[in-house]
Amino acid sequence: MSSKLQREIGHDEFDPKGTLALITIYFVIISVLWIFMYFVEFLGNDLTVVGAIA
Amino acid sequence: MSLGANSGTYLDQFPGEAKVIRTAFYSSFIALGIGALMGLLQVFHRLDILRLIPSEDYYSYLTLHAVLLVLTFSIFFLVGVFTWAVTTSLDRGLEDLRYTWGWYGLMAVGTLMAGVAIIGGFFDSIPMSAAVLYTFYAPLQAHPLFYLGLALFIVGSWLAGLDWFRSWWAWRSENPDERIPLPTFMALTTTLFWIISSMGVAISVVVFLLPWSLGLIGQVDALLTRTLFWFFGHAVVYFWLMPAYMLWYVMLPKISGGKLFSDPLARVVFVLFLILSTPTGIHHQYLDPGIAEGFKFIVMVNTMFLLLPSLLTAFTVVASMEHGARQRGGTGYFGWLRALPWRDPVFAGMALAGLMFAAAGFSGMINAGMNINYLVHNTWWIVGHFHLTIGTAVALTFMATTYWFLPQLTNKEIWSKSVGLAQVLLWFVGMTLMSNAMHRSGLVGVPRRTAEPQYSGFDYEVAAGSMAELNMQVAIGGTLLFISTLLFLTVVVMTVWGSKVDTLPANGYAETLSGPEDAPLVLDNLKLWTAIAVVLVVLAYALPLASIIGRRGLFGPGGSPSPQFIDTLVFTGQAIVDSAVGVIR
Amino acid sequence: MKIHTYEKFWLAASMLLIVGFILTITYGTVGIGIAMVDDSADTVDPDNLGDHPKFSDPGVEQVGENEYDVYVRALQFAFIPGDVEVPANSTVTFHVTSSDVIHSYSVVGTNANTMVIPGEVATITVETEEPGEHGIICTEYCGSGHHNMAGKLIIVPEDEFELEEEQ
Repeated sequence: MSSKLQREIGHDEFDPKGTLALITIYFVIISVLWIFMYFVEFLGNDLTVVGAIA
Repeated sequence: MSLGANSGTYLDQFPGEAKVIRTAFYSSFIALGIGALMGLLQVFHRLDILRLIPSEDYYSYLTLHAVLLVLTFSIFFLVGVFTWAVTTSLDRGLEDLRYTWGWYGLMAVGTLMAGVAIIGGFFDSIPMSAAVLYTFYAPLQAHPLFYLGLALFIVGSWLAGLDWFRSWWAWRSENPDERIPLPTFMALTTTLFWIISSMGVAISVVVFLLPWSLGLIGQVDALLTRTLFWFFGHAVVYFWLMPAYMLWYVMLPKISGGKLFSDPLARVVFVLFLILSTPTGIHHQYLDPGIAEGFKFIVMVNTMFLLLPSLLTAFTVVASMEHGARQRGGTGYFGWLRALPWRDPVFAGMALAGLMFAAAGFSGMINAGMNINYLVHNTWWIVGHFHLTIGTAVALTFMATTYWFLPQLTNKEIWSKSVGLAQVLLWFVGMTLMSNAMHRSGLVGVPRRTAEPQYSGFDYEVAAGSMAELNMQVAIGGTLLFISTLLFLTVVVMTVWGSKVDTLPANGYAETLSGPEDAPLVLDNLKLWTAIAVVLVVLAYALPLASIIGRRGLFGPGGSPSPQFIDTLVFTGQAIVDSAVGVIR
Repeated sequence: MKIHTYEKFWLAASMLLIVGFILTITYGTVGIGIAMVDDSADTVDPDNLGDHPKFSDPGVEQVGENEYDVYVRALQFAFIPGDVEVPANSTVTFHVTSSDVIHSYSVVGTNANTMVIPGEVATITVETEEPGEHGIICTEYCGSGHHNMAGKLIIVPEDEFELEEEQ
């Protein structure tokens, strides 16, 4: 592995901007899917269980 | 702390320990092979492509598939991995190898007993069976051998945990001022919550189910034993997952050519798992009558917060890979991804497992949601979910790292890295197809755990695509997964068959960018975290359990056993007990 | 303890997600009124359901102007009654119990889905809308004939609905 090492990057000079980009995309996907699943798939489905109507 | 380059492979360092780990791995791989075959047969049976056995016997396939893969394959592999982690990071052998072989033996005997009980279900001539599935909900009743085997297996795993603790205690007395090395820290925190959580299933099996299956007590409570099962049933998934997490933290950065981004946050993550894994089990019982909505809500809040350590892991692990990629010359926001060693099956398998886990995280979030459970509970969606978690995040990580561990344990080179690469890719593709179709089928109501999901009175209403298309995806996916397993086993066998070389890289694990010196000392206070974990468990479980026992009594309001086996032993036992009672009267 | 700025950002985003999920579920409970099946019904003796005032003769009964109670017994490997007929646009409460092992009562492709545990009466209330037919299946493995355990929910137009006479 170390033979392919082109440079040594320390903690303070490493800015994980690629990670930030990836997890931001993940965050957006998760949020959109959650809203879709809850409000379309679940609440849009038939026969939702409600509290006993007194 | 990373070991010097001169210390050789793991086999060179710890030949005795290497033998135990090898044996545990081989046990694990045998279970993988049989379990995968059962999986393939199940796919064909359910989809009505090929039904080799009557549908009544399908549930023995299913029990064997689940028990062999989630308990035997995963746990045998992980005790090996943790043994490697503790000995490597403390740089000392285990205290007493006879003790180590003892717990391995207990686990092996337990597995064989449970396995024999299950396999008996396939043969009319063998008067035993245990078609009770992996959850063995009473009053479904298995042969006593099944429960006894399970109990031995769990006790064996506890003794394994104690083995790692003994190493740490001995090391600590010689190194009183040192931080616990990260891999050991991970093994110890995992052991702690495993012991806390498996207490639930141990009580259920030893106090209720085993005596009941022997005819010593007449009835057990369906809801109480089920709740005790889930006391363990969610934490156990973290027991499988933590070794995979550990490998992502301490192995993946090294394979990527970088360092672990943050040792302190890794410790925080494992502490969170220690305290939150167990008080979440009731989320598997959102749709159970007999448990108040308030308890369900509290457990949901715990479960949702359990997302936090996984989300933090996603960041740390991806950042560690990015560090490797940039050291290898990667640039840009996404361009660095190309600089990663994708042709290395160890890396590719682990990275793809992590990617699948991100998807699993999403379906897990849905499963954690209390009322949305009405939509997905007991549908094939759930099966799709856990084939991404245990079936990929864990299984694919274990298979991929085998390509690293096996040379370390045998001093032999991997037989073929290209076959290994093909294997991990096939798993990824197969699981993508199968799991996607399972999730979508679940949303239209296709149930899990059934031999014949085809009913005569109605059709499933698929909004986009068709049922035939979904079934095709499952059939192709399942087949690819089976082929992938065969390739994996081939590589293992051919590697073990090969001859020793002395050009292997030394044993070791990733260094850190931000090391333990940056982690607050309190993180290493295992007593404190264990105490908090116990308090949280008591808070989450004392009232629900008291309420169940208060409503239904310790042994339930009634209900006869429903034996999923026919056995003279039990009737004999029952007769002996009856006549003994008669004599006393 | 050094925490990178981006990681702090991700920590905050994660907390936002978690709180957002909990709030969504709470909205479902409080705002829409989705109730979880719970412990409000009294326990029953699974061995003597024949003596129970309702489960001895399970079926549909009218309890209000537009409200119906449906009593169902689940057992290996059937529901009694198997087919349930209720009118459209009405409030229907299912009361389901088991006389042997754990089952489920799941109306396929809908949110009406509950576990059925011996000794407990699973009670769920739904509002029917359009006329139509749904399968009802047991989704909890209950023994070798599990896959045969099914019934049907038939929602008929209000003007065609007639309660069967007491048998």
